[in-house]
Amino acid sequence: MSADVLNRPETHKGTGAQKPPQTRGWPLIVVSLVIGLATHGWNMFRYPLYLTDEGIYMEQAWSVLREAKLSPYTYFYDHAPFGWLTIAGWVAILPGGFNAFGNAINTGRVLMLIVHLVSVFLLYEIIRRFTGSKAGAFLAAFVFNVSPLGVYYQRQVLLDNLMMLWILLGLYLLARKDGRIVTVMGAGLCFGLALVTKENALFILPGCAYLLHRAIKSQPNRRFGVSFWWFAALAPVVGYLLFAQIKNELFPQNFNFNLAAATPGDHVSLLYTVWWQLHRNSNSSNGLSFTTLLQASWLFKDRYLLIAGTAVTVLGLFAGRRNKRLRGPMLACALMGVGYGFYLTRSALLDFYIAPMVPLFALNLGMFFGWLTRRTKPAGAAVLVACLLVPVVVMPGGFMVKYNTKGELEFSDAYRLPLTRLQEQQVAWIKANVPPDAKLIIDDDIWVALHDNDPPYKNAHPHYKATSDPDVRDKVFASSWQNVDYVVMSNKMRDALERGGETWIIEAIDQHGETVWQATRGDVSLQIIKIGGTS
Amino acid sequence: MEQLVLTILTLISLVLTVQAAHALYLMIYTWDRPEAGDRARVPDRRATPALSFTAILPARHEEEVIQHTIARAASADYPPHLVQILVVCSADDVGTIEQAQAQVNRLRAMGRTNVEVVVFDDGPINKPHGLNTALRYATNDVVAIFDAEDEVQPQLFDIVNTIMSEEDVGCVQAGVQLMNFQSNWYSTFNVLEYFFWFRSRLHYHAKNGAIPLGGNTVFFKRTLIERLGGWDESNLTEDADIGLRLSSMGEKVRVVYDDRYVTKEETPPTLQSFIKQRTRWCQGFMQTLGKGTWKLMPTRRQRFLAWYTLAFPHVQAMLGVYLPVALLSAFVLTVPVPIAMLSWLPVLMLGAHFVMSVVGLYEFTGAHGLKATPGTVVKMAITWFPYQMVLSYAAARALWRQVKGERNWEKTAHVGAHRTAAETAELTNVG
Repeated sequence: MSADVLNRPETHKGTGAQKPPQTRGWPLIVVSLVIGLATHGWNMFRYPLYLTDEGIYMEQAWSVLREAKLSPYTYFYDHAPFGWLTIAGWVAILPGGFNAFGNAINTGRVLMLIVHLVSVFLLYEIIRRFTGSKAGAFLAAFVFNVSPLGVYYQRQVLLDNLMMLWILLGLYLLARKDGRIVTVMGAGLCFGLALVTKENALFILPGCAYLLHRAIKSQPNRRFGVSFWWFAALAPVVGYLLFAQIKNELFPQNFNFNLAAATPGDHVSLLYTVWWQLHRNSNSSNGLSFTTLLQASWLFKDRYLLIAGTAVTVLGLFAGRRNKRLRGPMLACALMGVGYGFYLTRSALLDFYIAPMVPLFALNLGMFFGWLTRRTKPAGAAVLVACLLVPVVVMPGGFMVKYNTKGELEFSDAYRLPLTRLQEQQVAWIKANVPPDAKLIIDDDIWVALHDNDPPYKNAHPHYKATSDPDVRDKVFASSWQNVDYVVMSNKMRDALERGGETWIIEAIDQHGETVWQATRGDVSLQIIKIGGTS
Repeated sequence: MEQLVLTILTLISLVLTVQAAHALYLMIYTWDRPEAGDRARVPDRRATPALSFTAILPARHEEEVIQHTIARAASADYPPHLVQILVVCSADDVGTIEQAQAQVNRLRAMGRTNVEVVVFDDGPINKPHGLNTALRYATNDVVAIFDAEDEVQPQLFDIVNTIMSEEDVGCVQAGVQLMNFQSNWYSTFNVLEYFFWFRSRLHYHAKNGAIPLGGNTVFFKRTLIERLGGWDESNLTEDADIGLRLSSMGEKVRVVYDDRYVTKEETPPTLQSFIKQRTRWCQGFMQTLGKGTWKLMPTRRQRFLAWYTLAFPHVQAMLGVYLPVALLSAFVLTVPVPIAMLSWLPVLMLGAHFVMSVVGLYEFTGAHGLKATPGTVVKMAITWFPYQMVLSYAAARALWRQVKGERNWEKTAHVGAHRTAAETAELTNVG
C-alpha cells in the first residue's frame, strides 16, 4: 500500500451523527439573492432619508480619492478608516465616480446592496455548513432579506454593514472546514478588517474566538491555525496603531488622558479617542440609551425579529448540549449575539447601531432552526419555514404590507415612499440660488453633492465641525453669525444642534435667520435659512 | 532624487514582502495542505524486503562518533545480506580509519561481514569525492547516503524498500532532524530550520519537480546515480546540485517524512563551525546557480523555483545590510505615510516568521517527546534578530569567498550532542 492511499487525518470530519448535505441548494440561494435584490434594491434611492452618517462616510471617501486624506477635516480617529477606504475603492472603479448612480450616497447605497447580497450568500452557507439544514439557511436568509429593520439600515451607507460583511466572511471561511491554515488565517484577517472597519466588532470577538477554537480543535495543524488567526486578526489593528504612531498621533500630548480637557493637547490622539469612547455613556450628548431607542425606534420598525432573535440567541446558549457537531457553532453564534447585545445596552447609541444585530439574529435563528429540525425530514422543515414566514410576510403590519390611513392595503414605506427627493430638491435649490463662494452650514448628507460640484462649494461645512473643529469654527466662521450666509437644515438637524450644544448656530438661526426654502412630507421637514437677511 | 529613493524603498518593501510571504508559506506547506502531508507519510504496511542497499558513510575527523554511527547502521531492521555498509575516509585521516576499522572488526567477530572501510588517497578531499569513490565499491540496488554523525533509524531500509517497490521513483529523500534545540543560543532556530525544511518545504519542491536534495538519508537507485555520473566533486553542496540534476532529467523524487523515522543529527557545536557550515551551503548554492543546471529544467515554473531557491543566499547577504538600515530609517527617515506604512510590511512578515518559529518549536518538541518552555520562547525572542544577522553574515561571507574564488571545503565538527549517553554506550558496544 502506498502512502497516497492512507487514511487522511481527521481534519474534515464532524463529530456528530449528521453530516452537512453535499449539495448547496443553489435554487434556494438564487431565490434568496433575488429576494434580497428586490427588498433591498427596490426604492433604495428614495428610502430611507439620506442619513448624516452616510454623508460622513461618503465625504471621507471623497477625501481619500480627491485629497489623498482620510477626512476633509481633522481626522481624530473616531473610527478606523477601512470602511470608507473600501467605499473609496468602490467609487474609484466606477466610470461615473461619486455620481455614477445619481449622487454620492446613492453610489454608496449600491455598494451596500452588493454587500447585502454577498452577506445573504455567506449567511446561507454558514448555516448550511454548520447545521446541514438548507431550510434553516433559507429561513435565516429570508428574514435577513425582508426584516424591515434590516431593509432600513442595510440600505444605508454604514460602516456597520461593511463590518458585518467581514465578520460573515470570516465565519464562512471557518465553516468551510477545509483543514487549511491559510483559510483559518483568512478568517482571522477578515475579523481584523472588521475591527478596522468598525471597532464594535470587538464585542463579537468572544463568539468568533470560541468558534475558531471549536472549528479547528481536531485539526492536526491547529497550533498554526489558531496562532495565525490571531496574528492575521491583529495585523490590521497593528497597522492602524502604526499609522497613528507614524503621524505622531498615537498618544495624546504629554500622555495626558484627562477627559475633562476639551482636547487631547496640541494634536489628536488615537488612544485618547479610544479612552474617551470607553467613557461615553448614554447620559452624554453623543447618543441615546438602549431603552429609548428600543421603544422609540427599533421595536416600531421590527418587533418580530427583535423578539424572536433575542429568544433564539438566549436559547442558543443552552440548546444542543448533547449534539457535539452543533453545540460549538450554536454557542459561538449565540455568544456573538450576546456580545453585541451587551455593547448595545452599555453604550451611548445612535439609531443605526442596531444594524449588526439583524444578521446576528438571523444567524441565530437559522442555527436554532437547524438544530430544532435536525431529525425532521427536509420537506417537513420546508413546511415549517413556510408556516413561520407566510404570516409575517402577508400580514398587514408585518414585514411587507400595511394599512394606510384610508384603510387600504399597501406596501410598507420602504418600498413606496420617495423621501430623498426632498433632499435632492434642497441641493438643486442651493445650486440654483446660492453662489459657490457662500459660507454654508450644512449637514453631511449633502456634503459631497456640494463639494464634488463644479465649481465646488468650498465653504459649506457640517454644523458640528462649525462648532467643534478649530479649523472650521475659528478660521471660517469665527463662531459668528456674521460669517454665515446660509444654514441648510436637514431633517431633525435642530435636535442635533440642541443636543450638541451648538448654541451659536441656533442663535444665528433664531435671531438672524430667514427661511428661504422649505419642504415637508409627513414628519420630514427640510429648510434653507438665509442668515443676516433679517438684520 | 527624493522620488527615486522613495520608489526604490517601495519596490524593496514590496519585493521583500512577497518573497517573505512565499517563503513563509513554504515553511507551512504540508501543514496547510492535508493532502501534501498525506503524501509525505511513511507507508503503514511494509513490502517484503527485496531491494538491496549500499549505505555510504563519508567520514572525516569523526573519531568521536563514527563507531556509534556504524553500529547504528549495522543494526538496521533489514536482512543483513541485503545491506552493504561502506565507510569512506581519506588516507590522511588515520584516527577515523582506526576507529572505523575497530568497529568493523568487532562486527566481523559477530559474523557481520557486510561492513567495509574504503580509503582513498587522491584528491580532492571532500564529501563528493568520497561518495564517488565509494560508489565504485557499491554492489547493491540502492545507494543510501548517511553522514558520520547520523542517528540512522533502523526501519529506514524497510521503508525505502516499500516505497521504491511500490512507487515509480528512483530517489527517496527521508527526513533529517537536528535534535539539540537547547544546546546554545542559536541551536533552537537551527533545529527549526531543519524541521521546516524537511517536514514541509522539500515536499513543495518535490511536487513541483525542482528539489535541492539533502546531504544525507537520501536513497538513489544505483543505476540512476551511475547514469548521472555521480556527484560533482567541485561543488560545495553536491547534494543540492544532484537533486536539481535529477529534476532536470524529469526524475521524480519521493520525499518522506515521519517524526518517528527521521535521521537525527546535531547542530554545529560552536558559532564558528555553524558559520562555516552555513557559508559552505550558501556558497554551494551560489556555485550551483552559476553552473546553470536549473536552466535545463523542462518548465518555467521549475526553473523559477530552482533559481529562486539557489539565488536566496544572495538576497540573504543583502538583507544583512538592508535590515539594520531599514530599521534605522524607520525611525530617522521622513517619508509620506503610505510609503512608511508599506515599508513596515516586511517587518510584519518578520513577525509572522517569529510566530511560525514558536509554533514550529511546539510542533517539533511535541513530535519528539521533548518539552519547550516559555523560557525557550523568550530566548528565541531575544536571539531571533542576532540569528538573522549571523545567517546574513554567513551568506555575505559565502559571496565574498565566491568572488575571491575560494572553494575549499570547511568541515563541520560533530560531537554527538544529539545522542543520549545511554544510546552511545549501547550502540558503541554493538558487536
